[in-house]
Amino acid sequence: MSGLRIVGSYFRQHWALYTVGISMVGGGSLLAAQIPGLLGRVTDSLRDGRLGRAEMAGYVGLIVLIAVVRVATGWGGRVLVHHKGRELTYQLRKELFEKWSTLTPSYYHSHSIGDMISHALSDVEVIRELVSQGLNQGVSGSAMFLGATYLMVVHVDWRLTLAGLGPLLFIPLLVKLLGPQIRLQSQRSQEALGAMAQITEEVIGGIRTVKAFGTEDVVIGRFEGRVDAIVAEKMRFVHLSALFGALVPLMVNLGFIFVLGYGGFLMTEKAISLGDFVAFTLFVAMLRMPLEQLGNVINIVQRSVASLQRIDELLQVVPEVVDRKEALQDLPLQGSIQVRGLSFRYPSSEREVLQDISFTVHPAQTLGIIGAMGSGKSTLANLLLRMSDPPEGTVLVGGRDILHYPLARLRDAIAYVPQDGFLFSSMVLENIGFSDEYPDRERVECCAKITAIHENILGFPEQYDTEIGDRGVRLSGGQKQRMAIARMIYKDAPFQIMDDSLSAVDTSTERRILENLRELSNSSSADEGKGKATIIISNRLSAVQHADEIVVLEEGRIVERGNHSRLIALNGIYASQWFMQAGQFEESELDGVDAEGGRDHTTPDLDAEMEALEAGRLEEAL
Amino acid sequence: MSSATPKRGALVTLLPYMKAHQAKLWLVFFLVVAVVVIELIQPWLVKEVIDRYVTVAKPDFNSILVMSSAYLGLVLVAFGLTYYQEVLLQRIGVSIVRSLRLDLFRHIQRLALRYFDQTSAGRIITNVVSDTEALNNFFTQFLSNTLRGIFSLLLIMFFMLRLDTVIALYCFLLLPPVVLLAIYFQKKIRTVNAEVRHRLGVVIGFLAENLSGMSIVQIFNQELKQQKALNERNRALLESTILENRWFLCFFNITELLGDLAIAALLWFGGKEVIGGTISFGILYAFIGYIRRFFQPINTISQQMNILQSSIVASDRISRTLQEVPDIQELMGATAPEVTGKIQLDGVSLAYRAGYPILHNINLLIRPGERVGFVGATGAGKSSIMNLVTRFYDVTAGAVIIDGKDIREWPLEALRRSVGIVQQDVMLFSGSIIDNIRFFQADISEERVREACRLVGAEPFILRQPRGYETMLSERASTLSAGERQLLSFARVLIFDPRILILDEATASLDSRTEEVLQEAIHRVSAGRTLLVIAHRLSTVQQMDTICVLEQGRIVESGTHGELLRQRGYYWRLHQSGMLLEEAA
Repeated sequence: MSGLRIVGSYFRQHWALYTVGISMVGGGSLLAAQIPGLLGRVTDSLRDGRLGRAEMAGYVGLIVLIAVVRVATGWGGRVLVHHKGRELTYQLRKELFEKWSTLTPSYYHSHSIGDMISHALSDVEVIRELVSQGLNQGVSGSAMFLGATYLMVVHVDWRLTLAGLGPLLFIPLLVKLLGPQIRLQSQRSQEALGAMAQITEEVIGGIRTVKAFGTEDVVIGRFEGRVDAIVAEKMRFVHLSALFGALVPLMVNLGFIFVLGYGGFLMTEKAISLGDFVAFTLFVAMLRMPLEQLGNVINIVQRSVASLQRIDELLQVVPEVVDRKEALQDLPLQGSIQVRGLSFRYPSSEREVLQDISFTVHPAQTLGIIGAMGSGKSTLANLLLRMSDPPEGTVLVGGRDILHYPLARLRDAIAYVPQDGFLFSSMVLENIGFSDEYPDRERVECCAKITAIHENILGFPEQYDTEIGDRGVRLSGGQKQRMAIARMIYKDAPFQIMDDSLSAVDTSTERRILENLRELSNSSSADEGKGKATIIISNRLSAVQHADEIVVLEEGRIVERGNHSRLIALNGIYASQWFMQAGQFEESELDGVDAEGGRDHTTPDLDAEMEALEAGRLEEAL
Repeated sequence: MSSATPKRGALVTLLPYMKAHQAKLWLVFFLVVAVVVIELIQPWLVKEVIDRYVTVAKPDFNSILVMSSAYLGLVLVAFGLTYYQEVLLQRIGVSIVRSLRLDLFRHIQRLALRYFDQTSAGRIITNVVSDTEALNNFFTQFLSNTLRGIFSLLLIMFFMLRLDTVIALYCFLLLPPVVLLAIYFQKKIRTVNAEVRHRLGVVIGFLAENLSGMSIVQIFNQELKQQKALNERNRALLESTILENRWFLCFFNITELLGDLAIAALLWFGGKEVIGGTISFGILYAFIGYIRRFFQPINTISQQMNILQSSIVASDRISRTLQEVPDIQELMGATAPEVTGKIQLDGVSLAYRAGYPILHNINLLIRPGERVGFVGATGAGKSSIMNLVTRFYDVTAGAVIIDGKDIREWPLEALRRSVGIVQQDVMLFSGSIIDNIRFFQADISEERVREACRLVGAEPFILRQPRGYETMLSERASTLSAGERQLLSFARVLIFDPRILILDEATASLDSRTEEVLQEAIHRVSAGRTLLVIAHRLSTVQQMDTICVLEQGRIVESGTHGELLRQRGYYWRLHQSGMLLEEAA
């Protein structure tokens, strides 16, 4: 039950407000419970014939007063409580995101983002329900119930109270018993719907395959199966909810009948007055909703226990990589990157991903890292960036262990291009100038020119202000990568890491970009007397060909090292790959035509056609 | 997306489906009336008790007892009827939606590829899933609640009129303001709620993106900036939810207040009448009971307007889809010829959009068993030729003739089963490996599947999977590598055994080592078939009997690898650029 802490501390923090809110809600409901009694008294006076105009006016005035006061207090109290509850959702979501901002890839690998979002949405909403709706209904429901019961028992007759309220007491019980089942069954039919959606998605996505094999009937059969599953789940849900929907009024009606019969009897016996009887029938009708709500509160509490637990656990996660409080050197990073005898394995596995890696990259120098998939290249980049912590003393910058720098300093000093060229759905300008809160337009354009993406951007509907992604332009893999490299250049950090970031760019553009980069690095070295230390990780040898040193990784070990000509002369893995890939350049060249030259054709082709259609649709959507 | 606004009449799509359940719908109708009457008779009963048996000279308990017992009987009947009515109505709705879904899906399956190329997948899926679900809500929520609400309202008015016409008419004065209030608030709440959902979507989108790009955020040291950005969106969401809640509370409390004030007014005016002796106390009581119940049906009905609106939009979209006419029509009574795999393109042109031809007057003869490679840039028309041979699209001019017969005169299924295609992206469906290979056709024996897998060399990796052939493939089969997926698709081709096989960039996404492994499989799969290969890499097509080089919708060169090199044309240049690079080493 540690999760209750979240709610508990929130209540404590805002205790004054909650006290006021709850008293208002409860007070309003207590007042509401007075009205049937009042009507009963009017009835008796009427019947006795001793009700004059003045008294009548008095009663009516009293009812109006009670109505206004009880609605006003109830309203005000609910506004307060709901408001606070919604602020809690804001605060929890904020705290969750702040926590998630400190977690490293290892956490993201083992947790699905979909689940995390569902915590930030549903679990937080469930907690909000507890502290706003649950609290309101609990307070107002019990106030009204207790108030009414008190009035009935004390002023009228306890046996009649029992007869009238007895059946009604089953209502919260019904809500508690059937409510969760109905909810569960409703989830099941949602899941069945999800399964149908999934199959539809597959079939529509793979329609070429379906049609090519002439198997439309097969997929229709599968679809029908899913639709039938929905029908079955839905009907189960319907049976439950219809039962609930019929039982609740039954209970109210039974209460009414007991009041009618037994109350009628007591009346004929003169044990109670007509006014009492009238008040009773009104009470029974009035208590239906609060009792349903009380049942609902029980369900809300039950559901929120699990949600509180989950949110609490999320907020308690300890980040793997943190600033080391001891021996922290709050200095800017400069000098060379040095890796000394680095071996690494992930905590979850036995295998060493990296074994005894050593190299040094000086300012204005470039290191190329070559290796097949799974050779440990990307792990190496992750360690340099401290996405995972390397072992003590293995990675140094300017002669100091990177573990001893504050994370913010380290990451300020390194610019990085990821493999997939991940971009955000924001403006081109904001993406390239991601490292600034208010990006400098000129500098962004300059960076875009270096990576040969400027012309493409000028072709976008709103140029540098065009949104990237679903609501704006979709970029090809090569465009994304060039954009991501521009983002790295914009950051202008002393260390640069490019993780296979030219793979979707054709070889001639790649050559151009690399030349531009070298030029940039040299010019900056002329300016400041020292240039950037660059690490280029790649599958394609052409990307590292001009590096000062190239290391070849295989299964986590450096198997060859040297510059291009030395490695060719060595006639080992690098050389054999070089000759193989050289044979492939012809195709890469063709790839280039495809990736970049497609839009230059004067004859519209299918792709251009589709693009135009997309654009048209986009315009309409806007 | 058309700008035309959905017509009110759009719900007519549903009419034929509802007709099929006509009798049951009438039954539901009568059951609703019965249940509502039993429920609403309560204040009347109390009035009877008061006026007839209590406030008389000689109170009559026996009659009260009889009346209570009779009502008990009615209440129990009403319990059964309520349950039965609800289940019945929902069953009708569910089965109508079921038929509609199946009809819609069947229809979509019949549509030609042009439809799928021009309509975004998201929209089709929304159509099949959400739009039909919106119609489900039409039955389960709109119909059931509106029916009940309208009858409640009518019956309350009826009872009131029977009790006392003048007071009843005074009470009806309440109706217009209450209705207007309900409509006003519902509209307001609807717009506020749309804003909430929009802002929630923004927050979700932001979270999803930033969580998947968290390492970029961290590496660029922009955590604070992104947190600030989230907080802005989060704050906007908070404000809109608070606003929504305020409107909601406002509506709820004003209704409550109105209810109480109405009782006070009744008491004031009715009380005078009672004192004056014009009406009995019982009547006043009944009025108080009824006026309390006046509000709920109005609110319920006004809430249903949302659902009605979205069902109209949904049914409009569904009927549009159902009105789509398939581009590719099968000729009545078409029969397939003896299939040997001879393909003839006879002056073929193709334009996806009128006036913008992609293929120009292509003439090509492919003999049975011949292997033909197609190279050229994207947009040169390689894939378009394949779209014609499979009859995904029909030619704009000329004819595609397979085994002596224009393919427009073939039965579609026979054609598609004679022409197999392996694409770059292998489409696997959620289900077991074996079902994916035999495409969920259980009549294809397991042994045949195994044989095919052995032949293409897929069996070793399949057996390495946790449950072998029965292993369930997860979403998009991310557990398999691209090469493994391609092997499965080769096995699939073997099972379907087409005479003509198209490899559409089948190995483009594979690294060279995997491609080598696959070459052997390709070799086996293509044996004895007419083979059309589209490729980026020249190495893939070098061995073909004929290579066609396409440029801007025309075949500019064709011949064997050797012949083409000797021609020193486009193909030679492509090949040469690679040579030059090699020399640079």
